[in-house]
Amino acid sequence: MISMLHIELRLYARLIRMQLRAQMQYKVDLVLDMLTYFLVTVLDFCVVLIYFVPFPTLLGWHLGEVALLSAVTSLGFGLAELFGGGIDNFDTLIRQGDFDRVLLRPVTTLIQVSTTQFRLRRLGRITQGIGAFALSLFFLRGLNLIWTPLKILVLLLGIASSALLFVSILLLGATICFWTVDATELTNILTYGGREMLSYPLTIYHQLMQRLFVFIVPLAFGTYIPVCYVLGHALPFDLPDWLAFTSPLVALLFALAALAFWRFGVHRYQSTGS
Amino acid sequence: MLRFYFEVARTAYRRQLIYRWANLAGLCTNVFFCIVLSSVIIALYQARPTVGSYNLRDALSYSWATQAMIMVVLPFGWIDLMLTIRTGEVVTDLSKPCDFSLYWVSREVGRALYYVFFRALPTYLAGWLIFGLELGASWNAWPIFLGCLALGTISGVIFRILLNLVAFWILEARAVIVLGLTIAQFSTGVYLPVVFFPAWLSTLVSWLPFNGMMNAPAQVFLGKLTGSSLLFELALQLGWLLILIIVVRRITAIATRRVVVQGG
Repeated sequence: MISMLHIELRLYARLIRMQLRAQMQYKVDLVLDMLTYFLVTVLDFCVVLIYFVPFPTLLGWHLGEVALLSAVTSLGFGLAELFGGGIDNFDTLIRQGDFDRVLLRPVTTLIQVSTTQFRLRRLGRITQGIGAFALSLFFLRGLNLIWTPLKILVLLLGIASSALLFVSILLLGATICFWTVDATELTNILTYGGREMLSYPLTIYHQLMQRLFVFIVPLAFGTYIPVCYVLGHALPFDLPDWLAFTSPLVALLFALAALAFWRFGVHRYQSTGS
Repeated sequence: MLRFYFEVARTAYRRQLIYRWANLAGLCTNVFFCIVLSSVIIALYQARPTVGSYNLRDALSYSWATQAMIMVVLPFGWIDLMLTIRTGEVVTDLSKPCDFSLYWVSREVGRALYYVFFRALPTYLAGWLIFGLELGASWNAWPIFLGCLALGTISGVIFRILLNLVAFWILEARAVIVLGLTIAQFSTGVYLPVVFFPAWLSTLVSWLPFNGMMNAPAQVFLGKLTGSSLLFELALQLGWLLILIIVVRRITAIATRRVVVQGG
């Protein structure tokens, strides 16, 4: 069992290395791509900054606080895009019938699918996230925020959890492709929509949306709840503060559920057969 | 010949009709983003009642209007023309006995018309149902709005064609196209109302060609643009459109001369 896992991890690393080598062949394209992606995401962040030109606060949240939330969300989402690119593009695999080939190989399907695409340009968003994080620290100076090792730990765990949560959503979307490839844009609501939504404090949204993103698709555990803990804001629905430490657990449970759904989908998959 | 371009537009319109479910899914995403944007704006307006001449209802109506127009004027990641250049298909289009850029403009106008009926109107209607948006400043604002939107749409189409033509020089032009489209969308108020911009930035974007694409039509719709400033904006919009037409024709001519097709 352990040795199987070891082999699969080695295979995963090797497949990713293959992708990287291929992209390195076109260096100018790669640099241009990464730079563009960086600039596009910077523009996204500028929106947050511009909101605070005419308005002083967002329901009690200051510029630095919203900037921190946005930066952390960007980091989690950027990591998910980097590692989940193949899963995100799963509909083309189904459309072109290439998934049949995946099933023939004696390697876990998920490893093969997730390594069909590993785009280095996604580093553009991660770079933006790091820059935005630094900028938010600059804006937070005036708020007398005290950083403790515990807070840094919560934030790091949050970013990792939010990446796992976003990848799990991508996996749910990919699994739906076994039934229909027409609904791929609906997962965009949860991924891109979720990212956009969680760049701002959850309390500004309708109760239903808050409940959805805390209890059903627990994306709030990835970014909003850890950031609340760090900034000393109350958690939504009067949840106790210590819940901020449970984000990896919540993310793991959600990921396992997504994985079970994926397995179910793979088992009942029937090729077009023509 | 006019009949030909009309048929091209009609075919493009009808081709879109096939993707019923994809459009419905897109509509849901569009509305969801609008709701997120509206929630942010509503929360921000708790701190002050007006920004410029925009109260909360104006800002919400403006945001839904520009978001509703995205697929009509500046759809995300429009690389259709770039793909034909990359595959070499562009040669068949170039050898057709019609004007290359006018052919693409007709195609895109047909598509834009589809999105007016099946995306923009339903999106705005949803916003009206949820937030009780403005339904146009007055009855006589409507024809000016539609004219302004038509000009903006054609400017948007030509701008997108220009971005795609870059593929004649760089094979992987996707990056340039995405960046160009994002800057255009940002400057014309898709991400947040232009009235929120700091003064220097709003002055800057008011002179750019993007202003006429969505910001000006949305302002006309809300009755924020009237009298002499309306005439000025329309003149600016027309001027930019003219410049875009001249540039696209020049670039097409240069690109056609240097096109070399793989395989002889």
